[in-house]
Amino acid sequence: MPLTLQNVTHIYQPGSPFQSVALSDINLTIDDGELLALIGHTGSGKSTLAQHLNGLMQPTSGAVLLDGEDINSKDTDKRRLRFQVGLVFQYPEYQLFEETVEKDIAFGPKNMGLSAGEVKDRVLAAMDMVGLSYEEIGQKSPFELSGGQMRRVALAGVLAMQPRILVLDEPTAGLDPRARKFLLEDIQRLHREGTTVVMISHSMDDVAQLATRIAVMEKGQLAMTGTPEEIFSQYDRLTGMGLDVPQASVLSHRLRGKGLAIDNCYQLSCLADELEKLLKGGAPHAS
Amino acid sequence: MLRDITLGQYYPVDSFVHQLDPRTKILLTLGYIIAVFMASNLLAYVPIVLFLVLAIRVSRIPAKMMLRSIRPLRVLLIFTFVLNLFFGAGDEVVFRLGFIVIKYEGLMNALHFSLRLIFLVMGTSLMTLTTPPVVLTDGLEKLASPLRVIKFPAHEMAMMMTIALRFIPTLVEEADKIMKAQTARGADFTSGNIKQRTQAMIPLLVPLFISAFRRAGDLAMAMEARCYHGGEGRTRLHVLKYGVKDALAALVVLGLLAAVFLVGKLL
Repeated sequence: MPLTLQNVTHIYQPGSPFQSVALSDINLTIDDGELLALIGHTGSGKSTLAQHLNGLMQPTSGAVLLDGEDINSKDTDKRRLRFQVGLVFQYPEYQLFEETVEKDIAFGPKNMGLSAGEVKDRVLAAMDMVGLSYEEIGQKSPFELSGGQMRRVALAGVLAMQPRILVLDEPTAGLDPRARKFLLEDIQRLHREGTTVVMISHSMDDVAQLATRIAVMEKGQLAMTGTPEEIFSQYDRLTGMGLDVPQASVLSHRLRGKGLAIDNCYQLSCLADELEKLLKGGAPHAS
Repeated sequence: MLRDITLGQYYPVDSFVHQLDPRTKILLTLGYIIAVFMASNLLAYVPIVLFLVLAIRVSRIPAKMMLRSIRPLRVLLIFTFVLNLFFGAGDEVVFRLGFIVIKYEGLMNALHFSLRLIFLVMGTSLMTLTTPPVVLTDGLEKLASPLRVIKFPAHEMAMMMTIALRFIPTLVEEADKIMKAQTARGADFTSGNIKQRTQAMIPLLVPLFISAFRRAGDLAMAMEARCYHGGEGRTRLHVLKYGVKDALAALVVLGLLAAVFLVGKLL
């Protein structure tokens, strides 16, 4: 069930002197099973866009369609929609509030009106998905945990609703490298198991590693969409927007600048292969 | 969801009134309040109205903003007016319909008290509309500092007010974010009976309190790191200074007081 944005425009405080256009005429379809990375400069409208996906914000004009139905129409049950499109905010550990990890993760499923048994099953499954042990920390206070663990509890709190589409707003921001690696693995696993994922990220290396498609936002507009190959080959355009490119792209770009015949690579493994080929075949110098 | 709350109603334009020293504005507002209370009959409100119109014109605050400041007063105004109108003492009846009797004194009192309320609020709003809250607290601190001889903690009070004001928008933003995050998990803040609604606030309030405490701790640490040790010997970046404009404004308010006094005496 694809999620489609049709000519979505969002204007903050329209008509006042503080009016600002956050999103301008966005057309984007999020297909089933893809892992779409949303990249763009700070203030480019990524987070605003994310909040349109589950109806937390309504477009000033345009529509957001889930399975062809307008999610902002009066007939749509907004809460049910939010159980289908799970949104994990930036720094989600700041929304933890319950006495125990178990209770906190159960908040979403309980709001769905599930039976106690089902809620428990969901909590166990969600904790399993993010690699937390129920026996170890299920009865602990979420505030005793480390930052990385808290982040995963918060993620589990959304996963426990078993959304079909998962929207993540900078899931790895502020995590140490180890916690970051774990979390990215969790996201990749979820995606492989069939969840559609939309991920906002500033880390191009994370994006290069995970994304099946990339959408680039600039000043509230959708600047480009495409596969990682397509997007990261636009080295100059991305850097012109003030965006990073993956380390592998930078290196391959520089090597090509030196005249080496290297394909555009955005993943380290690809770059390694290219270099190996080059070394084995002798370096054909273009100049 | 909470975005529409505006706090501190400072209206950022540049004008004569904006440029006045905050202490001048506080003292003159006091003078103005005295003038409003001195007005013993409706005619005495004429100089007050003239002064208000002049002050508002000079301050370049749109009339719409000024009127908005009395909006929260609606209920109180209606109460004041109606109660005085129907329950005033006196014997000169101006209107009678069955048991409803309106007397001349009642009518006058109703007008008198309603106008007094309106003028009080408009005058004080003019001060808050033309002075940023932090500058206002600066002025208060300076005005209250002579009270230090009787151990009144003027600096600490002002610092607390400044910090509180500084963090209100931050906390509103934070509350908005947490509310959205819990809504995304199916929380419902808008329906149900009082008990359900109160319970629904827990997922909002607990994280909000935790973050407020965290911020307070961070701020204390940051102040400590910059050697903050209270008001003792602390100098200011912007030193408050009275100028010609302050004297001019003071003269106008003195004129107002005199006018109200004279009108009261003569009539």
